[in-house]
Amino acid sequence: MCNQDPGPAVIDATMKFIETLKLALAAIMAHKLRSALTLLGMIIGVAAVVVVVSLIQGFNTYIDEKIANIGAKSYTIGRFSFEDFKDQDTIAAAQRRNKDIDFEDYEFLRTRLTLTDKLGAGARPDTAQVKRGNEVLDGVAVDGVMTIVGDIQKVDVGEGRFFSEAEDASAARVAYIGSDVAEKLFPSSSAVGGEIVIAGLTYRVIGVAAAKGTVFGIPQDTFVTLPLRTFRQNFGPLVRQRSFYIVGTAKDDQHFQDAVDEAKQLMRIRRGLRPGEKDNFGVFTPDAITNLRDSLFGTIFIVAIAVPGIALVVGGIVIMNIMLVSVTERTKEIGIRKALGARRNDILKQFLVEAVVLSAIGGATGTFIAWLLGRIVTAVLIPTYLSVGAVILAVSVSGGIGVIAGLLPAWKAARLDPIEALRAD
Amino acid sequence: MSEALLEMESPTTEEANGVTEETSIVNGNGLDAEALERGDLLAHDGVPAALISMRDIWRTYEMGTEKLHALRGVSFDVQRGEYLAIIGPSGSGKSTLMNLIGCLDTPSQGRYWINSKLVSEMEDDELARIRNQEIGFVFQTFNLLARATALHNVELPLIYAGVSAADRHERAQRSLRAVELGDRMTHRPNELSGGQRQRVAIARALVNNPSILLADEPTGALDSKTSIEIMNLFEKLHSEGNTIIVVTHEHDIAARAHRVISIRDGNIESDERIK
Repeated sequence: MCNQDPGPAVIDATMKFIETLKLALAAIMAHKLRSALTLLGMIIGVAAVVVVVSLIQGFNTYIDEKIANIGAKSYTIGRFSFEDFKDQDTIAAAQRRNKDIDFEDYEFLRTRLTLTDKLGAGARPDTAQVKRGNEVLDGVAVDGVMTIVGDIQKVDVGEGRFFSEAEDASAARVAYIGSDVAEKLFPSSSAVGGEIVIAGLTYRVIGVAAAKGTVFGIPQDTFVTLPLRTFRQNFGPLVRQRSFYIVGTAKDDQHFQDAVDEAKQLMRIRRGLRPGEKDNFGVFTPDAITNLRDSLFGTIFIVAIAVPGIALVVGGIVIMNIMLVSVTERTKEIGIRKALGARRNDILKQFLVEAVVLSAIGGATGTFIAWLLGRIVTAVLIPTYLSVGAVILAVSVSGGIGVIAGLLPAWKAARLDPIEALRAD
Repeated sequence: MSEALLEMESPTTEEANGVTEETSIVNGNGLDAEALERGDLLAHDGVPAALISMRDIWRTYEMGTEKLHALRGVSFDVQRGEYLAIIGPSGSGKSTLMNLIGCLDTPSQGRYWINSKLVSEMEDDELARIRNQEIGFVFQTFNLLARATALHNVELPLIYAGVSAADRHERAQRSLRAVELGDRMTHRPNELSGGQRQRVAIARALVNNPSILLADEPTGALDSKTSIEIMNLFEKLHSEGNTIIVVTHEHDIAARAHRVISIRDGNIESDERIK
């Protein structure tokens, strides 16, 4: 043996491993039906876990894409916070305690914030009827925002343009509309340059948003956005359903949370809150949605993964059982191998690798089935997402179960007395 | 052999003393006096030079509270190139002796050297190595792996010896050709006759160039014509310089050997050179 050069030793170990692997595959192939039946539990378990994981991942990705990442990373200060909507009591308490945000709050923040890049404001939408000649569209969300909000939210203009600072300052009767509104009211011609009537007043359409589709089945394209001043002038004070909100972005996304904290502190000062007293306004960040999602669904997800996980444990036990049977059946073979010079380790490895290979085949098959199911679910129902990490995890977990399941049988095989083993039938 | 000698050249004082003490007891019992006279019992430092040396070997089984002595102080040497038959009725202890010679078992008491290596003190894995390197087994029921081809069966000892695949194929093929099975390499045991199966087993036993070919009732499962074939093969292998030990209860099989040790009730009843 040449100790200076690790090459031959590594090749030697690899060769030996390939031998053991071949042996394991040969043993599994020798009992195809039995191996397949043994793996059924494992396959079902892995498939169930992977399907659940891809549903969850799909759901999370969906939320991340559709909600949390609308426009740039921005924070919103409004009357209520996310947590206030937890239940009826918290809603009632917040309604008593929290006061509406107003334009003075906005001015207060705008002159003092140092970490915020762009600051804008808007008002929550009112539901209104929108008309064009004889065409009538009900239930349209009409809101008003400052021009800069278009920039902050990075509105995706499909046609025309967003309104300008001057149009906001002069409370011009211009409207930026959703693609559904454009399609329904202007079925045959371009909406840009056309006129629509809301609550008796005529607005000129200056831009149409690119279609956004739906989020959880709720259409996102049935809206009209007006300049904030226009909205206030024509719809009334910005309270209640038209409640005022402030929206801002950080100068540096790395210090987004610092910018949020600064805005929050300034608001507390403005409201004269003592340390320890609860906020009487709400700050909403993209993280709030993911946090809410995690707090709402976290437990459900854990249970959803744990229940099919039980099938995995059962699958592991079945593999252990069949390996024990296999060791008993092949006692003679073990005796022969030992007589010919197999050490305990050789026998241990042989059965352990067999259990792991068996288990990993189950894991891979289960993952493949889960992937197929995921494709079907995505096509007809809701999006699912299967990451490479989840696949690797599923196969290695099933391999790990194989190790645990194979350990006892392999150990039993390794410590068989060669004389006794040779005597077996 | 030279490697084995090197290994044993500087034993610890304790070990050397132990050995000396043991051999003196043997001498005191008057065993192997002839060998001692020949001057080849001890090579150096109390380690026997013979291929196999058994000294006062006991094998005791505990059956509940009772002790069953399968072997009661057996001592003998086997020289390189001998053709030895161990004969005895069932229950005589010959199977126990075979298991000990083949390093499948360890004695309850006594010392046993193969090739000057003290195997009676070895652990499981060391014994596995001795079985792999020094012993070639031939069993009554062949003990071939049913699912494997003749070639793979013959390769088995080489796998555990860590021989590379290419080398293994070549050596296994050579070994099979030596027992005239060059045209049956890809056959499985169930596609071979009894005599052919036993020849595969012999090819397997010889593939690692062991010091001892150890056969346990090698013709027990064969008809008389095939038995003669196999015994002729053993004779040929012996003439080529192999050391052969055949354990049997059949006198005509034992008669083919050059030396016969007869076992009865766990003791050596007789040890005769017949050729």
